Amino acid sequence: MNGRRRSFLRLMSVVARRDYLRTVRRRGFLIGTLLLPAAIAGFTLLSALFNPALQPSPPPAEVTVANESTVALIVPTGVQLRQMSRQEGLAAMESGQAGELYLIPASYPATAAIQRLTPGGRSPSIEDLQRWSGQEQVLSAVLRLSLLADAELPPPVVERLLAPYQISTVGTDGETPTPGFEAGFLLPYVFTLLFVFSIFITSGYLLQSVTEEKESRVVEIVLSSVPSQPLMAGKIVGLGAAGLTQVLIWVATALAALPFMSERMPALRGLSIDPIVFVLALAFFVSGYLAYGAIFAAIGALAPGTREAQQYSGFFGFFAVIPMIFAGVFFADPGSPIVTVLSLIPLTAPAAMLQLLAVLPEPPWPLVIASLTSVTVFAVLAAIAASRVFRATLLLYGVRPSLGRIVGAITARG
Amino acid sequence: MTVTQRPLAVAVDNVSKRFGRVDVVAGLSFDVRAGEVLGFLGPNGAGKTTMMRMILDIIRPDAGRIEVFGAAPGLEQQHRVGYLPEERGLYRDVTALDTLTYFGALKGLSGSEARRRGERLLRELGLGDALHKKAGELSRGMHQKVQVIATVLHVPDLLILDEPFSGLDPVNAQLLRQLVLDQRERGAAVVMSTHDMNEAQALCDRILLIDRGRRLIFGGVADVQRAFSSGAVDVRGERLPSNLGALRSVADAVGADGSVRYLLRPGANATDLFRELAASGADVSRFEVATPTLNEIFIRAVAGDERAALVQ
Repeated sequence: MNGRRRSFLRLMSVVARRDYLRTVRRRGFLIGTLLLPAAIAGFTLLSALFNPALQPSPPPAEVTVANESTVALIVPTGVQLRQMSRQEGLAAMESGQAGELYLIPASYPATAAIQRLTPGGRSPSIEDLQRWSGQEQVLSAVLRLSLLADAELPPPVVERLLAPYQISTVGTDGETPTPGFEAGFLLPYVFTLLFVFSIFITSGYLLQSVTEEKESRVVEIVLSSVPSQPLMAGKIVGLGAAGLTQVLIWVATALAALPFMSERMPALRGLSIDPIVFVLALAFFVSGYLAYGAIFAAIGALAPGTREAQQYSGFFGFFAVIPMIFAGVFFADPGSPIVTVLSLIPLTAPAAMLQLLAVLPEPPWPLVIASLTSVTVFAVLAAIAASRVFRATLLLYGVRPSLGRIVGAITARG
Repeated sequence: MTVTQRPLAVAVDNVSKRFGRVDVVAGLSFDVRAGEVLGFLGPNGAGKTTMMRMILDIIRPDAGRIEVFGAAPGLEQQHRVGYLPEERGLYRDVTALDTLTYFGALKGLSGSEARRRGERLLRELGLGDALHKKAGELSRGMHQKVQVIATVLHVPDLLILDEPFSGLDPVNAQLLRQLVLDQRERGAAVVMSTHDMNEAQALCDRILLIDRGRRLIFGGVADVQRAFSSGAVDVRGERLPSNLGALRSVADAVGADGSVRYLLRPGANATDLFRELAASGADVSRFEVATPTLNEIFIRAVAGDERAALVQ
């Protein structure tokens, strides 16, 4: 290794180490990093608190019925249904023994109409509405059973009509059941979104770092000690490592919390993340970050201030959102030409491929390789161009460089 | 050893730089030698900062050649240079010591060595209490001291100071003045741009005056003053002639009885005037060739005084 390369690497590592440590020690980074684990912990706690299995059962609904129809009511064991005449029921309401009376008129078999008689002169409260809901379920079950019995059907048929099916899913290999929608698509999809957001959060660190050095007028001192290439390379590596740290903390937290969460959410039980998909996700995270990071670094150098830098970067952020707009197409038709095109355009490829990996059972290797090559080549070219723009425009304080100057800087030799 | 016998720190040969349609630096040549202070003078927009950035390899020239310690500017040279830019600042949420440690590491020092030197210099300059304070908590004067320390932390062989006295309070201005002299004393070359001609006169061995990217004056301070001094003579005495007709070498005279400044015609010199005064019967008690200040020379040179060419 010659001296020039050694100096380049040494300076790059000094900048990378310093930017990494400075970023991970920032309050904003710590809050951002801990927010997701805190949200998962909070969600787990809340789901435990509100898990119906752990809630005290509400008292069984008690129903007072005046049956004037010809249907003989069959009341299963454990169901509290009091039958009485209309007068007795009204008296029970009067005395407060019943809150309401369900009147099944003689015309019921033909009309299905039932009346709920309530004390006059007051509107129903929320408590009343909740109680009525429970009573309706009881009444519905009792009437369904009674009508079926009235039709003189054999008991096994009645039983089947009341509980028509018990579904289970078995793979053709006779093995693991296919997970449901939540575990099979939604959660991997959320996981990939996390990676896409991480690309932007990390690129945002880079943007912030460059604009801060420019605005605080430190950049000229730094550039007098470090050429623009190792400076930019150091920033990209250091801040990329900070972003990767954040992602890994999130993933580790999610994986650690999965057993606890799947106890509360049965839908999560089938969830697993394929190690190959995880490695590919990391590869797209890194290449996507390098592509967007180079662009954001150049924006930081070009923009007169932080506000302008954020506006410009927002424009490029739109590219990453495009695959999410077509999320339905990714789910319904992963082989669609739209999906292929979005997977090959460098600025949309990271988000597109991360979505595609979530949808497909196996990585589409030819497309993965083509997409990764496209993003990587773009990232390298963008980094070279950004480093030239960085060098040519970083010292223009409060001035917006002309397009000619930017193009001139990018196309300049050496 | 005269200045010109000392080793070259910087050699600039016919360097040009253009931004858009503007020639910011046009065919500029000069050199800076070890142990000298070069005053880099010129009006705003003359191209001083651009030239300094080219020496530092922050930007590259379009034409010409620059050598720093005998080689093209690059990583190795940058480690031997200390730079105090005109637009300067510190990381607001980082402590003074951490900032110095980082800057020292960028200049090739190990982290521990940079930290040790930074701590020592901060204490020496009375900033012992501010070691672990963030820059946002420091006063403007403290900021300036930290910036000066950052410039010399790695003991550079070449200092490039762009308007170093701009915005300095008197205490820090004196500190910087002493620092420049100390650096020269230990053999470092110093390039200092300034609009303060008194500072330039007090500190500089040579001056380089440029305007619109072109060199107007380059030479030793005394040589330049001598070249510009032939235009006026201060005379004190009695019976000094009031009739300028008797003094053919004089174009104009300013002053009253007993003390007159004679402005000589082009081509005339002080000896001519002395002879004419003696012939007129004047009783001369003091005869002194007026030495123009750098300020006067600056104004005259930028205004197009042809004598500027004489000292190039």
